[in-house]
Amino acid sequence: MTTTLIATRQHHFRLGEDEQAIALVRTADGHLLHTADGASAVSVERDAQGREWLRIDGRRHEVFIATRGDEVFVHLDGEAHALRYQHPLQRLAASGAGSAEDSVRAPMPGSLVSLPVAVGDAVQRGQVLLVMESMKMETTITAPRDGVVHSVHYAVGQSFDRDALLLELESNA
Amino acid sequence: MKPIPDTRHWPFQSVLVANRGEIAVRVLRTVQRLGLRGCVVHHAADRDTLAVQMADEAIEITGATPVAAYLDGAQILAAAQRCGAGAIHPGYGFLSENAAFCNAVAAAGLVFIGPTPEQIQLMGDKVRARNFVERGGFPVAPSAIEDDDPATFNARARSVGTPLLIKPSAGGGGKGMRIVRDLAVLDAEIERARSEGQRYFGDGRLYVERYIENPRHIEVQVLGDAHGSVVHVFERECSVQRRFQKIVEESPSPALDAALRTRICETAAGIARSAGYRNAGTVEFIFGTSGEFYFLEMNTRLQVEHPVTEAITGLDLVQEQLRIAAGEPLGYAQDALTTQGHGIELRIYAEDPARGYTPTTGPVLRLRVPPGEGLRWDSGVLEGGEVTAAFDPMIAKLIVHGADRTQAIARAERALADTVLLGCKTNIAFLRRLVQHPAFIAGDVHTGFLDANPQIAAEPALTAGTQRALLAAAALSTRPLRDAADAVPALHAAIGPWSN
Repeated sequence: MTTTLIATRQHHFRLGEDEQAIALVRTADGHLLHTADGASAVSVERDAQGREWLRIDGRRHEVFIATRGDEVFVHLDGEAHALRYQHPLQRLAASGAGSAEDSVRAPMPGSLVSLPVAVGDAVQRGQVLLVMESMKMETTITAPRDGVVHSVHYAVGQSFDRDALLLELESNA
Repeated sequence: MKPIPDTRHWPFQSVLVANRGEIAVRVLRTVQRLGLRGCVVHHAADRDTLAVQMADEAIEITGATPVAAYLDGAQILAAAQRCGAGAIHPGYGFLSENAAFCNAVAAAGLVFIGPTPEQIQLMGDKVRARNFVERGGFPVAPSAIEDDDPATFNARARSVGTPLLIKPSAGGGGKGMRIVRDLAVLDAEIERARSEGQRYFGDGRLYVERYIENPRHIEVQVLGDAHGSVVHVFERECSVQRRFQKIVEESPSPALDAALRTRICETAAGIARSAGYRNAGTVEFIFGTSGEFYFLEMNTRLQVEHPVTEAITGLDLVQEQLRIAAGEPLGYAQDALTTQGHGIELRIYAEDPARGYTPTTGPVLRLRVPPGEGLRWDSGVLEGGEVTAAFDPMIAKLIVHGADRTQAIARAERALADTVLLGCKTNIAFLRRLVQHPAFIAGDVHTGFLDANPQIAAEPALTAGTQRALLAAAALSTRPLRDAADAVPALHAAIGPWSN
């Protein structure tokens, strides 16, 4: 049996390392959530005390939900989780070949300790691009592939957050 | 809790807290409860924090980095004078163990709430502290330094006893270290370590010390007044560590019986007494599997984990620090101090245990402090605040107290599940797995416990049911997605989105 999506678009969330496809449909008395595993009636309601309750598959869970941009944070059954809504256009752009390997991002927040390369330098895969420090620990970041340094976004001593774009290689395309 | 002291005759009526975050809040709470004026310095990055809101006066300080501002003694002294403070409480970290700052405070005619500069200097230098403690007849780990007399080194190394550890004098990072369990191979191992030291560091000099297998970290809180009276306030066990930093502390230690507890606590009090120690301090020991313990170092300040001691004794250690600094005698003897039940502190960090405990940053979009009996929440972070890379990533300390260890652990587990902190990745779920681990429940831990059990840090896979519940909550909370669903005409909805 094959299923085809009509009328309602699929949406994607990143949860942990995985991307999950869902569809949400309005029904006469609430919403239906469709995932690869099937459909469930779902609702989130706030009670008179301001507590939020998620109903799914006949079960009720107290939840705390906060959103920021495309991020959704959910505290469920004693644990916090983070999900990220994947915009359709961004997904399309990300599926383009090789783009992720062009950028070097910070694996953790920290500051730049040394920068042995400069814009225009040819580098080989595995060569040290920069050394960063985080919580008194040094981490060496190496080139993901052979290439030429296209841009450097931080100077020695400057600090940055996790996932900050530190350095870019010239595109191979 | 002791009665509130009469502060009217104290030499200071106003205290400047030279710190930030949860410890600034903690100190201000006691200062203000005693009817004293509490002031605080702060870098602009901390302008919207709880400590600044609580303080009777908050003075902004500047620096090349936020941390540099809190290390700038001259600026902090000027702030103290500007707000008319008669005393400075340094908290922990920053200037708390800086003898030069301590001297400068005294020279400015202010009271430093802590020990004397000489005591800070003595205990701040590890070799001097070790030698001082050894001369006093207290236990230090047996060791032999080649430089002391190269001709007798092998013989002295032999008398250290097994197991022993050979280290290059110039070394670091574990390179060139060798563990010897059989004295028959000692000479050969010394030669091997020497050639490794030569190769790695260009320096073949060695030293040897007794190797403690699976050591526990046990420390003892001490208090000394300006009149020569010293007491201990029992031990704390801080063996659960990651990246050489404590993460869970408790008291009493599950490793000690009554006789050992008395011995280790009285050893600590003896060390403090021999130094004429004044104010609050902590004597740290390394504790071996057969009950042997050796002096590690003494911290001449309030510790992060002091609330564990407060939970089981009812003492307010900051109040005791203030009383001592004001010149009051302790006013009680060792016998008057007793403990009740069990205390555990869990340090909540902005970090990702599954990625090597690397620090994280982010906004605190939602914060619910866990409700319940026997809980204490020490934090400088508020809902709407932000965890940045500028400072240590500790968000809060959750302290639980129970009638016994079993009840304290049950309360810890429940309180961690009830703690809601959204917007920034934290170690809360990790701590919850840790306190449910059979070895932790059995009290069977050592300082290498987390390295030996990396699965505690790994995130377990989500069940299909949890994944669906999370996706439902996220879908219903994501505006564009929900609006699109609600805009679909009822006819389509009746058909459903999937057709065969």
